Amino acid sequence: MSVEIFVTDKAGLQKFYEAVIAKNETYAPVEKFGKYDFKRVTSLSTCNPDSPIAKTMSAKPLFFPRSAKIMKYTATSAGTDVMETDEDPLAGKRVIIGMKHCDARSLQVLDKVYNWDFIDTDYQKRRQNTIIISTRCDKAEIHCFCTSLDYDVENLDALDILIVNGKDEKIYINARTEKGGSFLKEYIAGLTSANGAADGELKQQYNAFAASFRLKMNYKEVNEKLAKIFDTPEFENVSANCVSCNTCAFVCPTCHCFKISDEKVRDTGVRYKSYDSCNNGYFTLMAGGHNPRPAKYRRWRQRAMHKFVYYKERFGENLCVGCGKCTTSCPVNISIFEVVNQVAQ
Amino acid sequence: MDYTKQIQEIAAKLFAEDKIDAFVGYRMTGFDKNQVPAIITGADDVSKLVFNDKSVFNLSNYLKHEHTRNKRVGLVVKGCDSRSLNLLLTESQVKREKLYVVGIACDGVVDDEGKKMQNCVECMFPDAVVADEMVGNHGRSGSETLIQTGSETLIQTGSETPIYKINADVLDLGSKDLVQRREYFEEVFENCIRCNACRHSCPLCYCAKCCIDQETSTLYNGANTTSSAFHALMTWSLHLAGRCVDCRNCEKACPSHLPLHLLHKQNEQVIYENFQEHLAGVHEGDRGAFYKYSMKDPDDFIM
Repeated sequence: MSVEIFVTDKAGLQKFYEAVIAKNETYAPVEKFGKYDFKRVTSLSTCNPDSPIAKTMSAKPLFFPRSAKIMKYTATSAGTDVMETDEDPLAGKRVIIGMKHCDARSLQVLDKVYNWDFIDTDYQKRRQNTIIISTRCDKAEIHCFCTSLDYDVENLDALDILIVNGKDEKIYINARTEKGGSFLKEYIAGLTSANGAADGELKQQYNAFAASFRLKMNYKEVNEKLAKIFDTPEFENVSANCVSCNTCAFVCPTCHCFKISDEKVRDTGVRYKSYDSCNNGYFTLMAGGHNPRPAKYRRWRQRAMHKFVYYKERFGENLCVGCGKCTTSCPVNISIFEVVNQVAQ
Repeated sequence: MDYTKQIQEIAAKLFAEDKIDAFVGYRMTGFDKNQVPAIITGADDVSKLVFNDKSVFNLSNYLKHEHTRNKRVGLVVKGCDSRSLNLLLTESQVKREKLYVVGIACDGVVDDEGKKMQNCVECMFPDAVVADEMVGNHGRSGSETLIQTGSETLIQTGSETPIYKINADVLDLGSKDLVQRREYFEEVFENCIRCNACRHSCPLCYCAKCCIDQETSTLYNGANTTSSAFHALMTWSLHLAGRCVDCRNCEKACPSHLPLHLLHKQNEQVIYENFQEHLAGVHEGDRGAFYKYSMKDPDDFIM
């Protein structure tokens, strides 16, 4: 498709956001207790589409909720009756603004597992009905390493509409997918088409952004080396100071392990699917009492290997998008970047 | 506050004299200015140890881990850490003879933004209350840094007895009415994502199976709903009532930045006022407020 780039300024972008929020069911980062989480918004003043990446939770819960009802049931002596749950609150047509590139990419990675042997129709519906508007970062944060991984950050097609801060307060708006293109058509009234130099400016902005990365790694080397050293004692060293708090998995935009729990009052109950983490000591605990991963280093090995070896082998992609959320949230500052690089050496 | 040199010397000495199998301290991460807790097992790694005002995490948490269990451990403790250690000793979770405690005369630690942490500003016991060896120079003029040896030294701040101050946030919240307070806490519980990081990072949460981890309970099921978050956090905070030492490991771990100290500080205040000025873990052998009986305990709630 032909890609038309529109140019506007700060006020124009605000107007664009306001028009989007007025016309659509919109989700955006909303600040609470100093942390931004994606919530339903009805006006631009309550949210911040340019929230700092280190303080923003992933938008994953909009596709894979922290807790989702999967069924209702009644269980009496007469028998058990299973019912459908209420309508999925996330299934409608909606727009997400302020989503970061790494976050958008994580959905592409998750698509693989959700469309694998079992097709998760809820997830698919949420994906299909969502327009993602994402602003490209201007500067990498301290724990970011997205450019070092196996995806093209510059030409990412996981997002529908790209917003780039150019020189002289100019802001470029660019549709990246067909879905985004037809969505953008409704809002181009206040925007002007950019001249031919826009391509160059976008490139320039990206180069400046790519140059600001402190962390760089060779993911191919990590993939290859990790695959060969399952039994290395180094995992014990790198995981020794982990407190198994599971924060990393809960904030990770690609982690997708879950547990099933029931909320039952007398005869009726609701069954929930909620987040869980492989770092949890009893994640693999079986009913008979056997636990195949009893030691912390085995759980850490599973986490690192799943991200950089198993998922890569099965789906051809790393289960890490380099957003650094796990490192930022970790109470003891353990960095997945440092861990995999140290082990792979 | 930089005690890197002293701690390295002590650790090297302990390994040389074969007094410990592992030493729990802090080290720098390989690539930035952050610190991570370090569990070192040999004299070769002693040079990695550091200690300064970024050494935030309460290391007594690691005494429940497999790396330190049934081993002779050297442990670095600040004031708050030593109080939680005291409680672990009282509650028979750790054996004193297996520990070599390096106490710090702490000047307060800083958060990620470099600001002094609020609990350090309000701290009543900056010096470690239990130690085999002290590092630092509180209340001692004339010498730059003084290392005092001797076991189980109880040091108070200066010559005065510390005065209990009610936490400013608790006071602030207390001035609101019930409805406002309820609204405030509903927001807190709504933003809880039930990762249980607060519990895991708490040094005093050592139960092998926690009551809030049940899969089929109406109150504490794993589902991330506001009601389950409410019940989980309230149960957790009540279990720590009279035991919490305000190290704020939980707040540091919380990915949603929830003000968890409000729950604990409120409990602490109620217990201080009603249970003979009880403060957790200040003296060795001190039991939690709910673990001991006294004739002076309030009983006006009984008809």
